[in-house]
Amino acid sequence: MTDAVPLPLVVKDLSFQYHTRSTPAIQNIHLTLEPGQIMLLAGSSGCGKTTLMRCINGLIPHSYTGEMTGDVLIHGQSVHGMGLSQISTHIGTLLQDPERQILGTYVLNEVCFGLESQGMSYMEMLPKAYKALERLHILHLKDKETFFTSGGEKQKVALAGVLAMEPDILLLDEPLASLDPASAHEALLAFRELADEGLSVMIVEHRVEDVLAIHPEKVLYMDDGKIIYNGDAAGVMDAVDYSRIKLPAPVIARRAKSHPAPHFQPTVPKIDPQSQPLVSFQNVRFQYKEDTPEVLHGINLDIRAGEVIAILGHNGCGKTTTVKHALGLLKPTSGKVLLEGVDSKKSTVATSAKTIGYVFQSPSQMLFAATVREELAYGPKNLKFSPQQVEDNVNWAIETVHLEEELPTPPLALSFGQQKRVSIASVLSMRSRVLMMDEPTAGQDYWNYQSFMSTILQTPGFDAIVFITHDLDLALIFANRVVVLYGGEIVADGHPQDILQDEEKLNKWRLLPTSLLKLNQQLWPKTGQYLCAEALSQFI
Amino acid sequence: MLVAWNYRYRNSPMDHIDPRARFIFSFAVLFSATTTWNPNILFAVFLIAITWYSLGRLTWKDTRLGWFMISIMLFTMIVVNTIITGGGAGGVVPPGGQLVWPDGVLIFGKHLNLGLTVERLWFAVSQLMRILSISLVFIMIPYTMDSRAYGVTFSKLGLPDRLAYTMELSFRFIPTLARNFQVTLDAQRARGFELDAGKGNIIQKIRQVAPLLIPVTMNAIVSSEDIANAMDLRGFGQRKRTWLYQLKFQWWDWAIIAFSILMLATTLLLAYRFDMRLFSVPHWWYGLFN
Amino acid sequence: MQDTHTTGKKKNIWAFGTKQVVYAAIGAALYAVVTWAFNIWQIPGAGNVGIRPAVVIPMFFGIAFGPIVGFITGFVGNILADMLSGYGFWLWWDLGNGVMGLIPGLFSALIYIYNEKKSILLGEVSVVLGVALGMALASVSEMWVSGADINTVIFANFLPAFITNVLWGLVLLPILMVAYAAIVQRSGR
Ligand SMILES: Nc1ncnc2c1ncn2[C@@H]1O[C@H](COP(=O)(O)OP(=O)(O)OP(=O)(O)O)[C@@H](O)[C@H]1O
Ligand SMILES: Nc1ncnc2c1ncn2[C@@H]1O[C@H](COP(=O)(O)OP(=O)(O)OP(=O)(O)O)[C@@H](O)[C@H]1O
Ligand SMILES: [Mg+2]
Ligand SMILES: [Mg+2]
Repeated sequence: MTDAVPLPLVVKDLSFQYHTRSTPAIQNIHLTLEPGQIMLLAGSSGCGKTTLMRCINGLIPHSYTGEMTGDVLIHGQSVHGMGLSQISTHIGTLLQDPERQILGTYVLNEVCFGLESQGMSYMEMLPKAYKALERLHILHLKDKETFFTSGGEKQKVALAGVLAMEPDILLLDEPLASLDPASAHEALLAFRELADEGLSVMIVEHRVEDVLAIHPEKVLYMDDGKIIYNGDAAGVMDAVDYSRIKLPAPVIARRAKSHPAPHFQPTVPKIDPQSQPLVSFQNVRFQYKEDTPEVLHGINLDIRAGEVIAILGHNGCGKTTTVKHALGLLKPTSGKVLLEGVDSKKSTVATSAKTIGYVFQSPSQMLFAATVREELAYGPKNLKFSPQQVEDNVNWAIETVHLEEELPTPPLALSFGQQKRVSIASVLSMRSRVLMMDEPTAGQDYWNYQSFMSTILQTPGFDAIVFITHDLDLALIFANRVVVLYGGEIVADGHPQDILQDEEKLNKWRLLPTSLLKLNQQLWPKTGQYLCAEALSQFI
Repeated sequence: MLVAWNYRYRNSPMDHIDPRARFIFSFAVLFSATTTWNPNILFAVFLIAITWYSLGRLTWKDTRLGWFMISIMLFTMIVVNTIITGGGAGGVVPPGGQLVWPDGVLIFGKHLNLGLTVERLWFAVSQLMRILSISLVFIMIPYTMDSRAYGVTFSKLGLPDRLAYTMELSFRFIPTLARNFQVTLDAQRARGFELDAGKGNIIQKIRQVAPLLIPVTMNAIVSSEDIANAMDLRGFGQRKRTWLYQLKFQWWDWAIIAFSILMLATTLLLAYRFDMRLFSVPHWWYGLFN
Repeated sequence: MQDTHTTGKKKNIWAFGTKQVVYAAIGAALYAVVTWAFNIWQIPGAGNVGIRPAVVIPMFFGIAFGPIVGFITGFVGNILADMLSGYGFWLWWDLGNGVMGLIPGLFSALIYIYNEKKSILLGEVSVVLGVALGMALASVSEMWVSGADINTVIFANFLPAFITNVLWGLVLLPILMVAYAAIVQRSGR
């Protein structure tokens, strides 16, 4: 390395403590990034990844106050004394939720936001915006309203807004959360392309396995504010705890050999194909409004006691729309939904809630009570349970999610992961027969979601469980039935083994085969069933 | 529930008027119409407003809901003002005057002495002209103005960048918040919340909306942090802002502005210099009641 | 493991930076959407009390983020709500709504911990004052906009608006303040 050209990014002995906290969020961070390099930053929730990014992009100290020591050098120049606008000409940041950083009502306006802030004239900004859109192959979206773009498109639009400012360092904070596998892969390829053009890219992501597919030059693993590992991708496989982040399945299987995990068994009754279905969709078609296209085109689906169903499908294929029909939140435009034999058009949502407990995707969209206890009691009280029953249900639900000591805390004061568990418990407390969960694991770290998924699935009391997910591995580990939706139609329905083995079809449905799936297929002759990576270790 | 803005490009004359000229004109109408009760001036302003409205080429279907609401309001106001409350309206109509039904009227077989005067009836007509003039010019705005244009329009009209952008950003949030509201409503219904559950006293009833209001509000506040970060990271407020959306005055825009100023100035001059501010009834109106 | 010491620092209630721009914009949009949503659904309210629980939003944004944010939330929010529903433009009612957020905003200088008794009491006082002033401004304007007489202004405009808005505000503001206290505690804002 010559001294002549300083590196784009050097972080030296950096520590930071938020002024409202008594311990530092990050400590003694050292790292360097060269042009054209991708760095993956992994670590469990709360370990300080976002904080590190804020120190680099200037939000710390400009928007967050606290104690900062050490230095960040951008092209050799210290960020101390640089203003946000100066930093923003070098560093582009994509925040976790594209929904929350898109500022314009139309795509082109969104892409131009940064240029407008720089006071650029119309003639200057337009070519830059077009170039950014072209780079991501989304020029055709330019006159679309941002509200009506799909999840994957939003992500790219937000990225174009960052690229338009022509940064040479990109910081991406969990860019893949809530994208379907194919969209996530496309986004990753776009990042790789940008790096190959000379940008330096830093990606924070829980989906480590997916990011490894684009061969990051560097991997950083953090725990509790400190760097545990800083090196190449090959080395990280052995350096970190494999239950903490999602490594490729063969690696886990190899490393788990010394203490293999037993295979997980859900606690649900045996399936009786003769029994009356709990929920039955009969040729359900649905359209949100008269002037919008039909979303569901004839769904036929029976849910019976004993089933653990994973619903898979690309962004916008109608998963959430389908599940909302089961509860009667939406009523079919034509066709019927029967709940224990009763037409959903003839019953209210409140009565359906006794049969079906539905956990919405985002916990913050339902929590309101002054204490966790009140929050959990809200559902059963609405369903007119006796006070004694309410009390019993609340206690049972809170024990299930292991949050007993938080009963008097306001739910809004809890961390995101805890809120998620409270939202699940507030549905559990209604003691419904079927549990439905919409993307229960999005944005959670690997260890956390593994543990609460297995807790819930082993909780006795449910006749059937349905969950929507973008994580194929969850489906193959936890479900005994997989339903694949594609463009508003059910294109596959059956045993995970039968559905997931056809790689070509998976690609077509925008569900990419994972390393766990591949390993399972390879070992199929020995196992005869789909297993988690830890359990597979006995077979290799 | 998706809230979509009602704007649609119609290639109408209004689509070619600069939004700044439009706002200046609209406010000129607002102030002209509320300066005076003189029947001639009011009628002139009313005609101008109708002409302006026709430039938008709006159909009845577009705006009927708005007119419906305004009619309800006008109806109650006029009934209350002119028929029920006696004794002149706010000191505008002088006391006394000619009764419409000097001998009283028969309603349901009862002989009633309504104090309705010809003057008060004319007053109702004046009110109608006032409110309609204002409604005509403003009700059309959401249907005929591009949501991208609000920020730049207010900025170019002299509002500071931050305030102008606040307007623009509000438009961006509306559909998102409407969707969040729907999601929260659904989530609470899934927990047994019912739309028409109503028992207990007033306070308990009011408290029932908490499970909707709290998540929606708190969620919005929490997302604000990310949004503010996203703006800071793209240099918001560091420099004088420019706008992608281009506004350009044409000669007719200048003409509209000149006309607006002239209209307001004339009204003020007539009203205050020539004492044409007060309420009066045209002669032909009396003729109708003889 | 967190010690929030928000009490120590002095508030500058007149600051208007990026954060305030966003709070004001989101507040206004929220006011419009909630007003509109309760209008079209006729969600259970207190029977004969007008269905406008949304009035608490400008008050709360005032209390939480200061007078400028409170004012814009009420003023712009009401304009947007009328635009969404196609009701036209009622400048003085918009201003009145702005004042309903502005007055609580002035009180925000005195409020640090949102779930304290004292803070909630201050909040309630600000609701009564804010609504009284705001609705008086709006109602009185009817005298020169539509030439209503003083009786009509008091009995048909002011009193109904005052009573319903104060009721909604008094009951809902404390609930929002307590919820917000929990959020402040979590993020250490
Ligand atoms: N604005 C803030 N004020 C005070 N403390 C904060 C703030 N933001 C984060 N923290 C704390 O700093 C620590 C590190 O948080 P950070 O957000 O950097 O974690 P993260 O690794 O990004 O986690 P996640 O994967 O959940 O996003 C946590 O203990 C968190 O509670
Ligand atoms: N309230 C609504 N009004 C109109 N259209 C809607 C509404 N909600 C969803 N849609 C549309 O219906 C389609 C299906 O949406 P849905 O939310 O069911 O998809 P999804 O499979 O759950 O996707 P994701 O994986 O992104 O959550 C999408 O095209 C979406 O744009
Ligand atoms: Mg983070
Ligand atoms: Mg969904």
